[in-house]
Amino acid sequence: MVRITNLHKVFGKLNVLKGISLEVSQREVVCVIGKSGSGKSTLLRSINFLEEPTSGSIEVDGVEVTPALTGRQRKERIHKVRLLTGMVFQDFNLFPHKSVIDNVIEALLIVKKIPRAQAVEIGESFLGKVGLIDKRDEYPARLSGGQKQRVAIARALAMDPKVMLFDEPTSALDPELIGEVINVMEAVANEGMTMIVVTHEISFARDTADRVVYMEDGNIVEEGAPSQIFSVPQDARTQQFLQRYLNGRS
Amino acid sequence: MTDPSLAVRRLARSFVFKVILVWLVILGCGGLGFSLIRLNVGFIGEWWRFIVYGEGTSDVWRVGLITTVFISVISIIGAIILAFLSALGRLSRNPLAYGISTFYVSLIRGTPLIVQIFILYFGLPQINQQLAKLIPNFEQQFSLLSNLLLLPALPTGILALSLNYGAYMTEVFRAGIQSVSKGQAEAATALGMTPGQTMWRIVLPQAIRIIIPPVGNDFIAMTKDSALVSVIGVQELLWRAQKVGVQNFRSMETLLIAAGIYWVLTIALQAIQSRIEKRLARGDR
Ligand SMILES: Nc1ncnc2c1ncn2[C@@H]1O[C@H](COP(=O)(O)OP(=O)(O)OP(=O)(O)O)[C@@H](O)[C@H]1O
Ligand SMILES: [Mg+2]
Repeated sequence: MVRITNLHKVFGKLNVLKGISLEVSQREVVCVIGKSGSGKSTLLRSINFLEEPTSGSIEVDGVEVTPALTGRQRKERIHKVRLLTGMVFQDFNLFPHKSVIDNVIEALLIVKKIPRAQAVEIGESFLGKVGLIDKRDEYPARLSGGQKQRVAIARALAMDPKVMLFDEPTSALDPELIGEVINVMEAVANEGMTMIVVTHEISFARDTADRVVYMEDGNIVEEGAPSQIFSVPQDARTQQFLQRYLNGRS
Repeated sequence: MTDPSLAVRRLARSFVFKVILVWLVILGCGGLGFSLIRLNVGFIGEWWRFIVYGEGTSDVWRVGLITTVFISVISIIGAIILAFLSALGRLSRNPLAYGISTFYVSLIRGTPLIVQIFILYFGLPQINQQLAKLIPNFEQQFSLLSNLLLLPALPTGILALSLNYGAYMTEVFRAGIQSVSKGQAEAATALGMTPGQTMWRIVLPQAIRIIIPPVGNDFIAMTKDSALVSVIGVQELLWRAQKVGVQNFRSMETLLIAAGIYWVLTIALQAIQSRIEKRLARGDR
């Protein structure tokens, strides 16, 4: 479903991604973990071209963007990839000047050009799924962090993507609000969505992920089933990270 | 009921009361001064309608104050469009767009408005003249360009004010657009919106709250600066006051009429402006 091939990203002099290759199959849930600054966000943001890769190619559901592709054709492909992917950000990025329902249907209206009545219907069904139908006409400022993130998930899902990208979706939340977002994400995973999740929530990775990827310094150091990565990590760097991380947390 | 004389005394001590007193004293001194120079109040009463809205002429309600307001409204619209485009250039990483924008802002802000008005009105026709010499049938073949170079006074005034205020407002628009967090544009982009859709539907509606108050101030300033276009003969408020004043050797009287009208206009616009600002503040989310 997603194929990343030899992806490099350089910011000025900073070499942030050093040749990442990763394949994610349909219905798979992949969690990406790693230290701050290791390039997790950059990797995720390269998949939908919020960051332009320095080199390497990205393929989502058969739509491939290679470095050879330029100009108009490239723009069109990137647009297609963006329609195939939904993204959830750490700080929600809901549109503050729009009500909850308008947040969810905005792109349905102006990107997919779906008639309003039909878009509202779709929007309401996804708000129902994240359990926020009663907040339909609220403005984002009046929601809790957990509610905001659930609206953001509904907004992304309403576009009917093939892959969902989550960049630390619970990191900006108060601890007591993390659960409600994790529950929604688990439900999305159970419905068979392909997901790539950058997260510090080890419990989510352990319970829901099919595969865990450990990144360090712009490279994928190790990947494997959660049971393997969390209990018997092979690479010394992964061991060290998990040891520090798990001790620091609990 | 409390002692009414107490209330009167409290009023007399209050700050507002004293301030009003100061205003009245200043106005009184002004009136005294005017009577010393034998200001002709009858002349003012007789002529102000003619100056302000052309009473008794075929141009009634098409000159004077109306022209002033018309110039200001059209020019602020022009300035808003220019400032928006220029801010986009300023924020662009395209060297052509960035270069044009910064050049425009620097040139306009670095020269006096009156010089800009003169160049547009007296300078451009010279270009037309030269082109007509160089290119046979220039005025017929390139009538659009030629007409632009020979623009009449009123459109020239509007163009000058638009260009001038557009340059000053570029910074306001840039700051407004930049005040919207980058995450907003990223979320919109991730949802598949084009850069244009992202700007119109997501960024600008949020930037507008930052942009409106300073644009309101600029509009008020513009109604006063519009008096400058009187120098190229646009029949706005100042031009008419000046003309009547010189012809009758009653300049003080007619200029006071103009000043009074500008003052009232400004106060009215400021009242509207503060209402809008209050409403914007109330809608804060
Ligand atoms: N737009 C940018 N310009 C320059 N440097 C950047 C930019 N974005 C990220 N970086 C740098 O790239 C490196 C990797 O950043 P990235 O956000 O991908 O890390 P991360 O693994 O997501 O970290 P965190 O856990 O803190 O979110 C960091 O050193 C960061 O400072
Ligand atoms: Mg990150």
